[in-house]
Amino acid sequence: MFQYFLRRALVAVPAVLGVIVIVFAMVRLAPGDPAILLAGEFADQQTVERIRVRFGLDRPMPEQFALFVGNLAQGDLGRSTRTNRLVINDIRERFPNTLELAFAAIVVAFAIGIPAGVISALKRNTWADAAVTFFALLGVSMPVFWFGLLAILYFSVQLGWFPVSGRGTFGHLILPAITLGVSSTAIIARMTRSAMLEVLDQDFVRTARAKGLQGRLIVVKHALRNALIPVVTIGGLEFGNLMAGAVLTETVFNWPGIGRLLVDSILARDYPVVQASVLVIALTFIVVNLLVDLVYGAIDPRIRYD
Amino acid sequence: MNLRPIRILAALALAVGLGAWATAQTLIIAQGTDAVSLDPHDVTDSPSATVTSHLYETLFELTPDGEIVPHLVESYEASEGGLVYTFTLREGVTFHDGTPLTADVVKGSMDRFLDPDNAFTFRFLLDRVDEIEVVDDRTFRFHMASTFAPLLAHLTHSTTAIVLPSQVEAAGEDFGEQPVGTGPFQFTSWDRGEQIDLARYDGYWGEHAQVDGVRFLAVPENTTRMAMAESGSAHVAVRVPPQDIDRLNQLSFLNVENVSSVRTIYIYFNHSLELFQDARVRQAINYAVDKEEIAEFITGGAVRPSDAAISPGVFGYTPVGTYEYDPERARELLAEAGYPDGISTTLYSPTGRYLQDIQIAEAIQSQLAAAGIVAEIETLEWASYLELTSRPAAENDVPMALLGWGTVTGDADYGLFALFHTSEHVPDGSNRAFYSNPEVDALLDEARTNTDPDAREALYEEALQIIHEDAPWLFLHSETQLVAVNENVSGLVIHPTERVLAHSASLD
Repeated sequence: MFQYFLRRALVAVPAVLGVIVIVFAMVRLAPGDPAILLAGEFADQQTVERIRVRFGLDRPMPEQFALFVGNLAQGDLGRSTRTNRLVINDIRERFPNTLELAFAAIVVAFAIGIPAGVISALKRNTWADAAVTFFALLGVSMPVFWFGLLAILYFSVQLGWFPVSGRGTFGHLILPAITLGVSSTAIIARMTRSAMLEVLDQDFVRTARAKGLQGRLIVVKHALRNALIPVVTIGGLEFGNLMAGAVLTETVFNWPGIGRLLVDSILARDYPVVQASVLVIALTFIVVNLLVDLVYGAIDPRIRYD
Repeated sequence: MNLRPIRILAALALAVGLGAWATAQTLIIAQGTDAVSLDPHDVTDSPSATVTSHLYETLFELTPDGEIVPHLVESYEASEGGLVYTFTLREGVTFHDGTPLTADVVKGSMDRFLDPDNAFTFRFLLDRVDEIEVVDDRTFRFHMASTFAPLLAHLTHSTTAIVLPSQVEAAGEDFGEQPVGTGPFQFTSWDRGEQIDLARYDGYWGEHAQVDGVRFLAVPENTTRMAMAESGSAHVAVRVPPQDIDRLNQLSFLNVENVSSVRTIYIYFNHSLELFQDARVRQAINYAVDKEEIAEFITGGAVRPSDAAISPGVFGYTPVGTYEYDPERARELLAEAGYPDGISTTLYSPTGRYLQDIQIAEAIQSQLAAAGIVAEIETLEWASYLELTSRPAAENDVPMALLGWGTVTGDADYGLFALFHTSEHVPDGSNRAFYSNPEVDALLDEARTNTDPDAREALYEEALQIIHEDAPWLFLHSETQLVAVNENVSGLVIHPTERVLAHSASLD
């Protein structure tokens, strides 16, 4: 298993390098000059030039790239061109916030999605199944920001149950976590339903029934466990999406996460922050996928890693 | 076991706790974005300037009525010809770390601001200052390279605030997050993207702040920001969307304040393109747009149609007239200019930068169409927009673009020189229209060097009149600041320079 882990880690290296090259090139290919932007609409040419020199933007592209990679290798992410702040501090503050939000959202998604999917499969073609399908469709179709704003207006402004926005207490986490988790919940419910239906038709379930096992035991221990593999795969991918896609939720709920940091820095052409944020998100994707692979083994002992 | 005593104790503890909470009064202001930096010299955006204005102070102050009054200086004297200014500092001013304000500190701060290597955007405000001489502890002199009438106005700009050189040195690159100023509030903490906390500075030289602290929240989403005001989780919320004004005003505990801003919104014509070299074409477009209708229907009455290139409240402003909506006149002028079948062009507009910007551009598009002018709308995000409109004439093919300009010094020089003087064509300055009129140049030059306020006003009036007739812009409107304020807040100042100031605010 350790060998497998090592192999996967090595495979990740070119992926990370690829991300570095692509991000570096993409932010620079985007129209818009960071020096002009920093100088603002008031500035004269000399100021723009001086800003360009101050941030090394006047140097040739290959030199900038070499500098970036060299510093990165030493763990130096540089300073934000917009705020002049150490990028590592921005990442250190923002990343755990997004992780917290994405984690809460995926917990919501699994906690609601799996039972809903199981019920839906067991009560196939009843009103319960129809209801789950209806809400799942609603869940994937609703725009996140719209759902979030409605949730704020109803639960925070009208009922006063939760804080309107911001981060801090557990209460702050509830609405954003649900908002972010809604579409994943729907996807996981649908996935669980179809996986369960497939498994419930199989011979070992019939055997278990024939043995005289109780319905609940069959469902949980035999059927669900076998149905979980595809659900976990989707769940892992969803987690990555939640990390990268939290920006709308973060904006609506004023959640100081990495998604908002990334969007703000793209708009400001803040190259060092864009590069670092994308890199961190890409790394998260890679790590989560690796973890998902390891979870397979725990769910299904037949899966081997050598 | 009897739980009652415990319950009573708990209730008491809670009551005491709430009592302590209620006595620590913090005014909560929800801004549209987080501050970028708290280094006043490096600030170019209103949300940052709002926060630094509570922490740092300038030598002079622009009152909300547009008057320039001494602030950190007690008195000043200008030499004959205006080449030397002698300032005397107010006594008893200290920085938040206890360091007294001296002439040496002022020189250190100004030298930092003017150092070309620091590349501060607003350095040009004071670039006529040649040297700063320290006379004694409380006295210093500005030696000017040439007479510069708007000097005192420029010294009211929040970016010229006095910083503490020893703190600049100590904090190094992190100075932007470790502010130490002389203002009525001192820095407590900053959670990036979330909130900034300030506490009252008890060693303040002037009248002490009434509230114990101010908290600035960064809430980018309009609906969320308004929800914070509605739920009472913020006392003040800036940038109320026009469509929400009526709804918020209906709430008994909220008022939407409507305060004029010194920001003028306009669409410039690129004079380097042949089409716009003919004044009749530019005037035709001005006649073809109904500014009143835009103000009423697109912004909910939240703007004031322009009658000059600068806004009321700015020194040197005089109403010089409007182009009344007259599509027939527009057609005639186009025909006279040799375009009897109308013209077609492209109108650039940002999205979300100014109040209802793209909606305004779309309204203009349909009004222009009625006068035979086909304008295609091009919208770009701000970084690309700024770059495209800042190119030199030979590479610049943006025909018309919507922009705004805040004359935040309260002096017409700032609002006219950079936008209309020939020497200021982009990329050297901010004259994106490539407008050039020797008469206007001469008037603006003269108004810069003439130290007689009455004479300056007359010069600006003449310049504004010529600019109106030349129509280098499609004149639109001055913006208004719409701020939702809870009824328990009093004494809050919504400054025309787009800053919300809590210096004398109190909470009931």
